[in-house]
Amino acid sequence: MTATEGVEAVVGTMSTGEPEPIERGTTARGPWSRAWSRFRKHRLAFGSLIFCALLILTALAAPLIAPYGYEETDIQHKLAGPGAPGHLLGTDLLGRDILSRLIYGLQTALTVAFGAELTALVLALAIGLLAGYLGGRVEQVLMAFTDVMYAFPSYLFAVVMVTVLGRSIFALVVAIGIASWVTQARLVRAQVMTLKEREYVEAARSMGAKGSTIAIRYILPNAIGPILVTTSFAIPAAIAAEAGLALLGLGVQPPTPSWGAMISEGSRYLLAAPHMLVAPAVLFALTLLAFTWIGDGVRDAFDPSGEQR
Amino acid sequence: MGLAVYLGKRGVRLVLSLIAVSILTFTLLQLAPGNFADLQRVNSGATNFGGVGTESMVGELESRYGADVPVWKQYLIFMKGAVVWDFGPSYKYASRNVQDIIAEAFPVSATLALLAVLLALLIAVPIGVFAALRQNTKTDHATMFAVTLGHALPSYLTAAFMILLFSATLKLLPSGGWNGPEDLILPVLALSLGPAAVLARYVRSSMLETLREEYVTAALAKGGPRRTVIIRHALRNSLIPLVTVAGPLLAALMTGTVFVEALLRIPGLGLYFANAAASRDMPLLMGTAMFFALILMVTNLVVDLIYGLLDPRIRTVGGGSHDGH
Repeated sequence: MTATEGVEAVVGTMSTGEPEPIERGTTARGPWSRAWSRFRKHRLAFGSLIFCALLILTALAAPLIAPYGYEETDIQHKLAGPGAPGHLLGTDLLGRDILSRLIYGLQTALTVAFGAELTALVLALAIGLLAGYLGGRVEQVLMAFTDVMYAFPSYLFAVVMVTVLGRSIFALVVAIGIASWVTQARLVRAQVMTLKEREYVEAARSMGAKGSTIAIRYILPNAIGPILVTTSFAIPAAIAAEAGLALLGLGVQPPTPSWGAMISEGSRYLLAAPHMLVAPAVLFALTLLAFTWIGDGVRDAFDPSGEQR
Repeated sequence: MGLAVYLGKRGVRLVLSLIAVSILTFTLLQLAPGNFADLQRVNSGATNFGGVGTESMVGELESRYGADVPVWKQYLIFMKGAVVWDFGPSYKYASRNVQDIIAEAFPVSATLALLAVLLALLIAVPIGVFAALRQNTKTDHATMFAVTLGHALPSYLTAAFMILLFSATLKLLPSGGWNGPEDLILPVLALSLGPAAVLARYVRSSMLETLREEYVTAALAKGGPRRTVIIRHALRNSLIPLVTVAGPLLAALMTGTVFVEALLRIPGLGLYFANAAASRDMPLLMGTAMFFALILMVTNLVVDLIYGLLDPRIRTVGGGSHDGH
């Protein structure tokens, strides 16, 4: 479950979901290739994409790249500063290599973030499409449910979920995923509501297409742009949520590393070993920024008219 | 729709949502593995924490809820207390009632949040206006780039960088704790940057829009000094839309306090909430969660009302900003 897989999978189904009306004044190229060429011109976003691809590769190949295991202690070199022999970024209180722990922490962060956003996306699509398309009683019930969840502050919910499910990767995926699907579901429904009044949907309906066919083949492909935009902004938010929960002592069970826990540890030994805080904070910030810039690029690619808000 | 009817409707919805939140939280926490009292016994044996009083806690729990009472009845008992502002004693902070903890910790969080809003406005308005007046210049782009940075980084990460700079490197400020007014500086600064970024972006685009309005052109054409026109005519009107972001912003701030308080060890509501979750202090967790939910919902209601007052069009449509119908 990696970053690109998620996005690529969506993009893949998109480019085959062809029956989109060709807008006037554009060439016959699909909206996807147009969006892609716009994205590529966004230098910051494209650079970020490359950076994030490298991060994902690093996370996948963590055991090969990390110089040590995340639990491995070097008792002789506790709290070694950066540049210490054998430890590029130094070691922590127990003599564990910080670079290695950062790399495994990256694995935790990305697994949780992509897992959670995939969960959120699936839930949002299912509920949003059903509600928007079926209307009537189903919509009322689903949207009443969504409204209740909307009233629930999402981090409160995530904290409660982790308390219930325990401190595992799975629990974090479920907690963050469930806490963040609501906004997406509301967006999907709004999209469906507008799209189902379009002429080409009416045309398909008049030709006798089934409801499910219309929803999946005609409405979904055209709703996916805005959904992709929110999803790409939701990924850095999920990374931040994972680190935040770890900061509160509700992240993955130690010794599995998490950036949030490393930051919290680093802040406690700030004066003795500032490098324990610097390394995770800097990598965490770069990662968040890169994913946010990808989001900016995706937004501009789908909405070239300029600022969204 | 009359204001009274609108208020009534929103009030009913607020209460219903609050009940839904409480049922969800209560049920989920009941599902949490391990009965609380047992867990407490195990923990006290293992970590030597709270060994004293554990038995009395169990007794307390039983006297409050009774032994072998079904979950739904326990919920009703809890709610009966909650309605009259009595959440019972906390487990972790034995001998203290949850409502007393809230009463003591909330002012701390509220101070942080309010000061952060104030600071955010003080930063955002000039920056937004400044960027709008230099639209599409290098200065504008640089400012907006800085805004993206502030927007993308969560407040606890900003706080981490700040203690690195101000505490570890410059040794100017304490790296946490809650002993004097100097302990306010870092958390407020860290909390304000995110909202300031969001606000600056809104001020800029709203300012750009108003600057194109005819009344601004007219005021300038009449020979009004540029500075006066910008402040009196353009700025005033471009601040109205800011109210719409106030709701989400305050929610984000509230979230921020939880993490910043945890990182900087500030005894606010957020820290108690996090500790309650980590130690499975059920009454404290329920109490703080409900309180957070209540604050957020009331804030949203107030924001919708203010917006309705400022812009009568919204009132006639008859919905708050959250009514998507």
